[in-house]
Amino acid sequence: MKLACVVHRFGAEIAGGSEAHCRQIAEHLAQAHDVTVLTSCAADHVTWANHYPAGESTVGRVRVRRFETARRRDLHRFRDISRIVFSGRASAAQQEEWFRENGPDVPALLDHLRRHGGDYDRILFWSYRYFQTYFGLPLVADRSILVPTAEEDPLIRVDALETFFALPRGYLFLTPEEAALVGDRCQLLAPSAVIGIGLEPAAGGGDRAALDALGLADPFVLYLGRVDPNKGCDTLLRYFSRYAAGRDVRLVLAGPANMPVPAHPAIRSLGFVGDGLREALLTRARVLVMPSRYESLSMALLEAWNRGVPALVNARCDVLRGQVRRADGGLYYSGAAEFAAALDYLLDRPADARAIGGQGLAYVEHEYRWPAVMKKIETILADHRPRRPYPGR
Amino acid sequence: MTIRSDDVMADIEASVRDALRRRLIAAGGPAAYRDAEIFASVNAVLARAVERRGDPEGGAAAGPPLLLPELLGDEEAWRPAGELRITSHRPLGGPLIVFVKRRLVLPLVRWLFEYADENFRRQEYVNRIVMACLEELAIENARLRSDVAALEEQAGRSR
Repeated sequence: MKLACVVHRFGAEIAGGSEAHCRQIAEHLAQAHDVTVLTSCAADHVTWANHYPAGESTVGRVRVRRFETARRRDLHRFRDISRIVFSGRASAAQQEEWFRENGPDVPALLDHLRRHGGDYDRILFWSYRYFQTYFGLPLVADRSILVPTAEEDPLIRVDALETFFALPRGYLFLTPEEAALVGDRCQLLAPSAVIGIGLEPAAGGGDRAALDALGLADPFVLYLGRVDPNKGCDTLLRYFSRYAAGRDVRLVLAGPANMPVPAHPAIRSLGFVGDGLREALLTRARVLVMPSRYESLSMALLEAWNRGVPALVNARCDVLRGQVRRADGGLYYSGAAEFAAALDYLLDRPADARAIGGQGLAYVEHEYRWPAVMKKIETILADHRPRRPYPGR
Repeated sequence: MTIRSDDVMADIEASVRDALRRRLIAAGGPAAYRDAEIFASVNAVLARAVERRGDPEGGAAAGPPLLLPELLGDEEAWRPAGELRITSHRPLGGPLIVFVKRRLVLPLVRWLFEYADENFRRQEYVNRIVMACLEELAIENARLRSDVAALEEQAGRSR
């Protein structure tokens, strides 16, 4: 099949979750199909400034076609329109304006879809919240597969999505919770599958010398990802600072920081870490903590389970709690006291913690190996049936 | 043997709840909380309300709809308005005034606007939770009234 994958940013060095999801799926699809990635020239998801040259290039087996962003994101204007839209009082025009302001504004990509959309057998779109998907998918709805990466944030309740979610020809969801969330917003949903993401068995080890050089003594709790208030990191830092006052344990933050990290003897912020150090951190961590309230799938959580590391997640995030409960691969908290008690359990009962991590690994083995994931995707790509009602409704 | 996350969490939640109950009693909280069952029941009702509306980032539209805001009527009249509306009623100079406010004045006072906006957001979050609590209590009360009425009717028949 001739396939296109449409995503807001694309590149090996881009850390975002949906971008990495798109890249991995595109690379695996390219083993059996002719795959072109259609994306912007941006590398920075805040400004959408053009970074990569426009035009065609090749990344591995994947052909990449980049389109320039017409303008940078005006953050003040974006914040102002977000306030109106999330107040629940926005008009249809204001809701549409939100998607324009969110960007990346890539009119040439839309032109490409208008002119050449019919050349592709299927066009997969990542993340409904971005310009290229919200405005691009309706142009080629008859051959579109949407990977919504929907989270339980205020945007999902915007009225305009009721019409939008009825358009795609097929859906690929990351979790059953995401499928239910989108199913609640739309009368009719096309054929769909919950795919998550594929993982190779962990190699183990990693760059232990780099880890030793950091002087990180056992035990430590690991947070992996962007250090950002939107990811719940401000609350995590408050909870952990209180918790660490009475214990010998450290919190290691591995990811670029978008917020100030307080100077605390038990908290280490490493910034962006390379693959070797990342692997070593995941292998040696006692617990992976995921404080985010909004997730459509936590790849960090699956990577931790892939190494038998138990997780402690925010109970207010249905996706994270659902994953933990299905896997029996960790615990969840909904306040400082539960955070402390659950962390005590995982740190003070190493045998139980290892068993819980092992259950997480068994879940990954069963659900998230590449052959199983690709089989589900191929079934949706090959589905020629007309759209049918979503089974959850 | 499988260690169930839910089983472990049930124990942790019970122990956290009991510690909270003891702390509230020690700090002079309601005497009714000496009864662990009453505390558990109160905790369940309030927790349900927080669960329904417990998204601090969720904006006013967060969570399923409630009855109370519908009864309050025109929401423009009572809901904190976080968004800034820069308008002018003057037909001639209006566009210029809007331009000056938006392009010159707003950038200078944006820090103050954002500080206030953050506090409006927090206030709206608390308002949503309080409304959800009231609704949970009203539902609980209606159920109890219905149960009492049914029991009275049953007692009347057997007399």
